[in-house]
Amino acid sequence: MDIKREDIVHLADLSNFSLSDAEIGNLSKNLQDIIKYISQLDELNTDSVEPTYQVFEMENVWRDDEIVEQEANREALLTLTKEEKDNQIKVPKVL
Amino acid sequence: MRYIPTIGIECHVQLCTKTKLFSEVDNDARGKEPNSCVSPVDYALPGMLPRLNGTAVKFAILAGRAMNCEINAYSRFDRKHYFYPDSPKGYQITQFYQPIIGAGYVELPSGNKIRIEHAHLEGDAGKLTHFDNYSLVDLNRVDTPLIEIVSMPDIHSAKEAHDYCKELWRLMCYAGVTNGDLYNGNMRFDVNTSLAPEGSKTLGTRTEIKNLNSFRSVERAAEYEIARQTKVLEAGEKVIQQTLGWSDATGKTSPQRSKEVAADYRYMPEPDLPPIRLSSEFIEAESAKLPLMPNNYRALFHEIIKPDTLEVLLDYPELMHKLNEINKEYVKSISNLFTSVLLAEEKSAEYLNDLPAAKDLEELAEMNAKKELSSTAAKEVFLRLFDPQMKGRGAKTIAKELGLIQENDLGALEEIVDAVLAKPETQKAQDDFRNGEEKVIGFLVGQVMKESHGKANPSAVQEILRKKLA
Amino acid sequence: MKIANKKVTAERLVKDALEKAKHFADYNIFTFLDEEGAIKRAREIDEKIARGEDVGRLAGVPYALKDNFLSENGETTASAHILEGFKSPVTATAVEKLEAEGAIMIGRTNLDAFAHGSSTENSYYGPTLNAFDKGRVAGGSSGGSAVAVALDIVEFATGTDTGGSIRQPASFNGIYGFKPTYGTVSRYGVVAMASSLDCIGFFTKTPEDMNLLMEVASGQDPKDMTTLPDFYNADATKKNSATRIGVIKDFDNEAVDANIREALKAKCKILKEKGFEIVELDMPTLKYALAAYYIIQPAEVASNLSRHDGVRYGFRSDDSSNLENLYENTRNEGFMSENKRRIMIGNFVLSSGFYDAYFLKAAKARTLIVKEYEEAFKKCDYILTPVSPNLAFKLGEKVNDPVAMYLEDLMSVSLNLAGVPGLAIPAGMSGEGLPVGLQIVGPRRSDRQLIEFAKELA
Repeated sequence: MDIKREDIVHLADLSNFSLSDAEIGNLSKNLQDIIKYISQLDELNTDSVEPTYQVFEMENVWRDDEIVEQEANREALLTLTKEEKDNQIKVPKVL
Repeated sequence: MRYIPTIGIECHVQLCTKTKLFSEVDNDARGKEPNSCVSPVDYALPGMLPRLNGTAVKFAILAGRAMNCEINAYSRFDRKHYFYPDSPKGYQITQFYQPIIGAGYVELPSGNKIRIEHAHLEGDAGKLTHFDNYSLVDLNRVDTPLIEIVSMPDIHSAKEAHDYCKELWRLMCYAGVTNGDLYNGNMRFDVNTSLAPEGSKTLGTRTEIKNLNSFRSVERAAEYEIARQTKVLEAGEKVIQQTLGWSDATGKTSPQRSKEVAADYRYMPEPDLPPIRLSSEFIEAESAKLPLMPNNYRALFHEIIKPDTLEVLLDYPELMHKLNEINKEYVKSISNLFTSVLLAEEKSAEYLNDLPAAKDLEELAEMNAKKELSSTAAKEVFLRLFDPQMKGRGAKTIAKELGLIQENDLGALEEIVDAVLAKPETQKAQDDFRNGEEKVIGFLVGQVMKESHGKANPSAVQEILRKKLA
Repeated sequence: MKIANKKVTAERLVKDALEKAKHFADYNIFTFLDEEGAIKRAREIDEKIARGEDVGRLAGVPYALKDNFLSENGETTASAHILEGFKSPVTATAVEKLEAEGAIMIGRTNLDAFAHGSSTENSYYGPTLNAFDKGRVAGGSSGGSAVAVALDIVEFATGTDTGGSIRQPASFNGIYGFKPTYGTVSRYGVVAMASSLDCIGFFTKTPEDMNLLMEVASGQDPKDMTTLPDFYNADATKKNSATRIGVIKDFDNEAVDANIREALKAKCKILKEKGFEIVELDMPTLKYALAAYYIIQPAEVASNLSRHDGVRYGFRSDDSSNLENLYENTRNEGFMSENKRRIMIGNFVLSSGFYDAYFLKAAKARTLIVKEYEEAFKKCDYILTPVSPNLAFKLGEKVNDPVAMYLEDLMSVSLNLAGVPGLAIPAGMSGEGLPVGLQIVGPRRSDRQLIEFAKELA
């Protein structure tokens, strides 16, 4: 398939990137090449084949419902954020 | 032209597990400080992996069975991607492709069945508080376990939407999977409404009213939306497919952020959690933990308790379970006490958590049946049965201690009556009664009651008086 | 690797390692050297030894940590700008296990940012140079770790392998690099690349050291629900009993460097002499592995990197006047070009309308690859193949051609798709003086025997 400029803009939007025009140009070519490469899978017959999402044979792995002290508390976590106010993470306003 | 409304409802139920869906921190953040119930997993540090809570899986089985749903032998988790500060991972872990709960139905008190399309487990989002120039993010609610229940569009009126939500709430409370605290957002409803001309085989364009948190809001919002869409259609215009918000204050729906393009969530199988495969034995063993459900009680008690009263009582699962423990012949009088004493006075919340033992209630009902207590006294004793100081002592002991036992001994009563009739101040009343003034009997009964310090059974007293004055 | 003989102190070993690290500074191996911390920990070990206390199986052994492992020592950046300044309050399970046995981390090693790459050129901190030729790449993504071991700075280094990121740099630098069976070593606390493919492993100079590290690091972790119960140590008495070694027909062609094909033939000859049977395998689906990989891997990458948004940790763009700016600018400035390519490809293959044609198709191809390995292991015990089609290439040679760079992974990614273990082994030198590597592939959970078998080829 052909990757058009608007496709790149759409993918950048989904990815949350503010791409420059130059970047859009480069990425168009790169992504076109990559998609062409991965599209060779079309040759492979996968009729009636079940998909594999994990190569891990275990099932029903779950834990007990008991409170356990965590390795990092609120202070240790919130100290990582750029801006904190009243024990909350501060972000600029949502448009 | 007449338009028929069609409504489908998505309901999010917060589960009352001890810990969150994917980490071992406290799941009950009510009254706790912001971000105090947050693990590194919830905070989505790099390299953190979800740790599935087994109780949430078991609760899903209970919730599903409460709605007569298939429990899928094989289910797994998926990631739903979107960027917003309430979603630290940048995706929500949900079950999009293979949910744990399959098709079923909820039967309303009217007998109508609303089909359930499916229901699935997922994590809740955090909370943002908006200020003028900034917003604050509290992640306490991140990955509180939720079950999202998706109904089929089987609902055709605002009232039925209300009844469906309420029945769903009851089912979840009976199943014991949620605290059912609507005020704190334990259940939230999204209402999808569309209108189509009567007889039409296709559905109209629908709108979605998001995040309603009371049955009344559901009913009012649906009512409003049906009326609004009717007006739009009658004016020959088209309903726009959109997401709406509802304001209880204005009583109106209004469009929410409308992105021109529908969101693309890029669902992807969750690679960090192995799938769930449930044997039928496991499902049966878990399902067996379900108590009797509202419909069971409707069947059990419909001849004993008036339907209106029963529907009120059904809101209180513990109360219904208690009634079920009690000898059937006393259910009516005890249910009356519950209705007239507790529910009328809105004392339910504090009282219903810790109900008296069945045998104490039975003892009280027995005294009632034998007319050993006046109706006021019965209510008094009933309330004392909840009193931590007195409960456990038994209804009879409490009644005695409070001197509330009615005098039913006819011999003893006659003596008191005679004494009253001998008093000079009652002579005029006696004459008046004999002359046909019926209502003075009340005065005379009152005198006897006074003499007996309130312990006499008034109807027995009246009977004796009438005999003596005949 | 042990210092039990007490002839040398942990402090001496660590100081030597730190000195060598500084001596080789121009190779750009480390993103962080923990001089103070490492010496302090070494002294603690020495004191314990002096008191006669148990100090663990790796006591005093200096090692290098790939910079995508979370630990409280230094910043964990994954060589990405967007994680700049991130001091983790938690520690990866693998790191905890190593340190519980007394190993001492002297520094964090360079990688392609978020492990996206096959040369370590995609690092925010610049490329790491090949141990044998400074004009060539270290391989990647675990380039820093491979060179740290190859230059003998440390005894071992950690790595992560999503599509070859341990095995390829190991072979470019003439050492051992092991990617275990999926789920053998906990991924907890390791910056995720593609969760269904990511494996934690090591670089060492001998199979014996590799075995010891696997004994230490393996096992089920309640913090990673995709870890297997510890089969590695449970298998301790199960000896390698391989008799049949497979070679893949398709890989013996012009596209593979002659040095590598020669090395493979030489090793087969040795094996034959030792009495092994060489089995030719037809594995026609493997040529689709790379295409399937470059769908599944970017999809999971895009998903896993969604959490890097400037809100809770790491870099936040100065141009963050509103939330939309904060997201877009932080992510745009914070990610490298290769990160962006993968995120966008991932979002493409997952987006509505393309999911079935790409992601689902690749997941089905994955099933066929898993089956093809299962069939192969009915005919042989292990497979001996190239790791990559070529030797270490020149710096800059492939940076502007993503597909050429991706082809580096042609022979390594199928193992990750199938979840099977692979050990890169040194297999001689080329005429130009570059190391030649091969890999031994085994069935799932054959890890211990596979490493044991590698001694046959040492």
